Amino acid sequence: MTDALHRLLRTPQGVLGLALLSVLLLVCLFGGVLAPYSPETMDFAGRFAAPGAPHWFGADQLGRDVLSRLLVGARSTIPLAVAATFSGAAAGACIGTLSAYLGGRWDEAITRTIDAVMAVPHLLLALILVSTLGKGSLNAALAIAISVAPSMARVTRSVALAVRQQDYVKAAIARGEGGGWIVLREMLPNVAAPVIVEATIRVAFAVMLFATLSFLGLGAQPPASEWGLMVSEARRFMHQAPWIIVAPSLAIAATAVCFNLLGDGLRDALNPRDER
Amino acid sequence: MAWLLRRLLTVLYTLLVVSILVFGLTQILPADAAVTLLGENATPEALAAVRQRLGLGDPAWLQYWHWLSALLQGDFGTSMRTDQPVGPAMFTALGRSLMLGGCSLVLMLLIAVPLGILAALRRGKATDVAASLVSYLGVSLPEFVTATLLLIVIADHFQLLPATGYVAPSENLVESIRHLILPVLTVSLILVAHVSRMVRSETIDVLNSDYIRAARLKGLPPRIVLLRHVLRNALLPTITIVALDVGYLLGGIIVVEEIFAIPGIGRQIIVAITTRDLPSIQAGAVIMAATYAIANTLADIAYVMVDRRIRYD
Amino acid sequence: MNVLSVGDYSLDYVTRDGSQRVLRDISLSIESGEVLGLVGESGSGKTSLAWAIMRHLPGNARETPQGRLHLGDTDLRAASPKALETIRGRRMSMVFQDPSTSLNPTLSIGRQVSEVLVRHRGLSQNEAWRTATEALEHVELRDPARMMKRYPHEASGGEKQRVVIATAFACRPELIVFDEPTTALDVITGARILELFGRLREETGVAALYISHDLALVSRVADRVAILERGGIVEEAPSDRIFRQPAHDYTRRLVAAVPRPERRLVADRVAPHELLAADRIAVRYRRKRLLRAAPRPATAEVALDIRRGEILGVVGESGSGKSSIARALTGLADYSGTITLAGRRVGSAADMDRAYRRAVQIVFQHPDSSLNPRHTVGDILARPLKLFGGALSTIPALLEEVRLPASFAGRYPHQLSGGEKQRVAIARAFAARPDLVICDEITAPLDVSVQASVVELLLRLREANGTAYLFITHDLNLVQQVAHRIAVMKDGAIVDLLDIDELRSGKMGAYTRELIAASPAPVG
Repeated sequence: MTDALHRLLRTPQGVLGLALLSVLLLVCLFGGVLAPYSPETMDFAGRFAAPGAPHWFGADQLGRDVLSRLLVGARSTIPLAVAATFSGAAAGACIGTLSAYLGGRWDEAITRTIDAVMAVPHLLLALILVSTLGKGSLNAALAIAISVAPSMARVTRSVALAVRQQDYVKAAIARGEGGGWIVLREMLPNVAAPVIVEATIRVAFAVMLFATLSFLGLGAQPPASEWGLMVSEARRFMHQAPWIIVAPSLAIAATAVCFNLLGDGLRDALNPRDER
Repeated sequence: MAWLLRRLLTVLYTLLVVSILVFGLTQILPADAAVTLLGENATPEALAAVRQRLGLGDPAWLQYWHWLSALLQGDFGTSMRTDQPVGPAMFTALGRSLMLGGCSLVLMLLIAVPLGILAALRRGKATDVAASLVSYLGVSLPEFVTATLLLIVIADHFQLLPATGYVAPSENLVESIRHLILPVLTVSLILVAHVSRMVRSETIDVLNSDYIRAARLKGLPPRIVLLRHVLRNALLPTITIVALDVGYLLGGIIVVEEIFAIPGIGRQIIVAITTRDLPSIQAGAVIMAATYAIANTLADIAYVMVDRRIRYD
Repeated sequence: MNVLSVGDYSLDYVTRDGSQRVLRDISLSIESGEVLGLVGESGSGKTSLAWAIMRHLPGNARETPQGRLHLGDTDLRAASPKALETIRGRRMSMVFQDPSTSLNPTLSIGRQVSEVLVRHRGLSQNEAWRTATEALEHVELRDPARMMKRYPHEASGGEKQRVVIATAFACRPELIVFDEPTTALDVITGARILELFGRLREETGVAALYISHDLALVSRVADRVAILERGGIVEEAPSDRIFRQPAHDYTRRLVAAVPRPERRLVADRVAPHELLAADRIAVRYRRKRLLRAAPRPATAEVALDIRRGEILGVVGESGSGKSSIARALTGLADYSGTITLAGRRVGSAADMDRAYRRAVQIVFQHPDSSLNPRHTVGDILARPLKLFGGALSTIPALLEEVRLPASFAGRYPHQLSGGEKQRVAIARAFAARPDLVICDEITAPLDVSVQASVVELLLRLREANGTAYLFITHDLNLVQQVAHRIAVMKDGAIVDLLDIDELRSGKMGAYTRELIAASPAPVG
């Protein structure tokens, strides 16, 4: 574990990714404390204030401090996306590994069905789910988890298949090891690494999808300061106060970049052969 | 030949699963679809009317069967919002989306492929690093951010192009193009970020291959090595990459149509969702997924025709 | 005048851990019409020398200022990139190791041969095509006109290598560099390629640098042989002398390690107590899938038996089915037929109980993939002990048996060399105290000196434990050194099953004879 961390820090992506992650973590945990104002405090006199003191990122159409809304909004945007990705990834990984292990007709059937489900674009699937389940952050998160699962299942399956072909798995079968032992102790440690890398990169995608849903009015609902929602609300006021839109957009981008970098860094760090 | 048959069967299976998925999620999953559609405060009579109209009293498989058989005969249901048949409106909208998507794909290919190849050729140098940074950013921006930023800068600030709206090409070609530039640009930029990275990594693999080394050691000048040997092998996987990207494209189109107010199929679906127009939601989703599945199949067929190795599977 | 002269040439590779000297003060020369063999094990730098001569070094290569590389009277080091383009393919060319990766998969064979003619001999497309077709005929390809239009994947390994050779000879170069051209090919195909090379060489009088790890092969092909050890040439001698009178220590070790059929390593005889019998075994790999034709079985109905303590060698080319037998015997592949172990019948993989699994162990070909990269050596050895009864405290003893330090128990596979990994795999097999160990081409990926030590290890373990071996290999010289009986496989069937004495006395089938003729014993 610590070994992986050390190796992560040796790559430039790892360093950058971890640095960004620490910032995001800080903001999620202490955003409320760090924020100079309450995100809901409206100040009609200070509407559309440009960035500068006292509003470092400016104020929005209701006079709320953009910086504060950003800091508090992190908690609405990021943790749910991360949780959604990892639960979707876990579900997908189980299905993928099972399919690879079963092989034969079952594998074909499961794979074809996963491919079919993936014919529905992610956003569309999320939209349909939300339209059925109703608007709101939790439903959006569930929708994301469900749309992440099939692609993670695919990735896991192909990694598991590659591992299954390795001679050390054959050696275990030749020894007469039980199926459970083979999957858990021989395959899983080698499957876990690439899957973790993929899942980390998907978090970036989930954050963007979550923000998109909120942007379309189907995710977080006002007066939450979720970043996608902030962009959506600010659309009408682009001409007067572009900073209301730019700030949350950059925050979303930064988060996505962070997880992409982490994923890239982890790819090298978790590879056992690269110790040179 | 047998391969083609198998591929077609796969598409049919895909469409079947998609139809079950869409129908199941929209009509069967909610405990009471009528309440989902009309809201909690609807009158009992209104609820009963909707149930009657949509056949919600029947068992699930029967509802599905009614819907599917109507669909296969070309009847996509009647919109609960407009009381007009859903089919024609959806397909017209699809046509507009295809035009938007098609232009974006073409523009994307024109930019991404040369960019990816250039980055691979100049690997590690300034051009490559710059291109990588830009594509990293492109991949990390949701479509609505890119679209909005483009809107702010080009339409609002510089007033170069109209912000929103759609003009059919048959009406006024110039205006039509002017209205399409920003949406096409938005979709293309995101795709360029993805595709150029993949083209880059494919090209790097090719450049490091044994046969390229052999070509160089035959004394062939670099230009010929590039044009005759490298390009063919680097471009072949591009077909697959593009097919994968149609999925991204369709997802992105929904948002872009919403922001730029283009009456394509994405917009129709959003309107259907916000107005809880169930038949429209179902039709729109199925049509969109079917488009993706068919596009993928066409790409597969094109790939097999071009790459001779696979033919002998 | 020397066609190639290399003088005091040194080469370093610069990595994150510093500079590594790969070639040290290399001096050699090749006259017109002469073939110089360059023999070295992995890591000796022989391939780097080939790249240096062709001026195609990687970006992190650093040459020392004083080294000289001359082709005829042209200074290769001083040549500009443009000048090199006219030299390569025209005055010097190269034949690579793996024909399936050195031909462009998206261009026709004809295109790839004719383009050198267009480039260097100024022929038009049509003329070049015609000349290329003649060249293909000259390398004994059947129906050259059709072959020209084919794509690489439509040709066999041997055919592709002939195409590569034709391309190399096409512009009548002064020098051709051969980088292990037969290593990726089957034994018989490789032998034919060498015959072709001999003929072309006589006709054209081209000078050649023949690089290989196989001293026996090189000594038959080359006029002189240079031995390369870790970047430096330790000996150079005429090829008929190098085996008989090796001067340098390293050469002596190499020569001693080369398998020679007349030098028998196993002296005892084996009593005919049957240990395992396989009756009418047919291995089938893939099930019939929807809309696809049923796959051919990997083996026909094969019958063989192994006696207690015996070494049964199984030889054959790739695709002959020898690995399939191994997989059937260990339950890794579906088979029809029965296996009988010590009297008990085993009808299918499901019947293989713990006793069977303990008695029959397998060591795989590739040490890189047969050890789980996330388990330590100790974990790997603990498993069979836990399964088949054995104390974990015996792990250091197990390691010692395979001449590895006990401290290796805490190491991970990627920290070990290929030979060391193979030893761990052998230790793992022996931890179960088996009656039969199946060795599936385990020495193929190893250097010849490492191979010799692994074989010595196997024989020692057999003496100590009385284990029988099913020794699968494609190296006929090696198998004649160690096996009591030899089974020869072709296209999924056993075509010959001989006692070693029978083989020695010349009693063998036609195919076996062909195989042996294609694997020459070293000269001298």
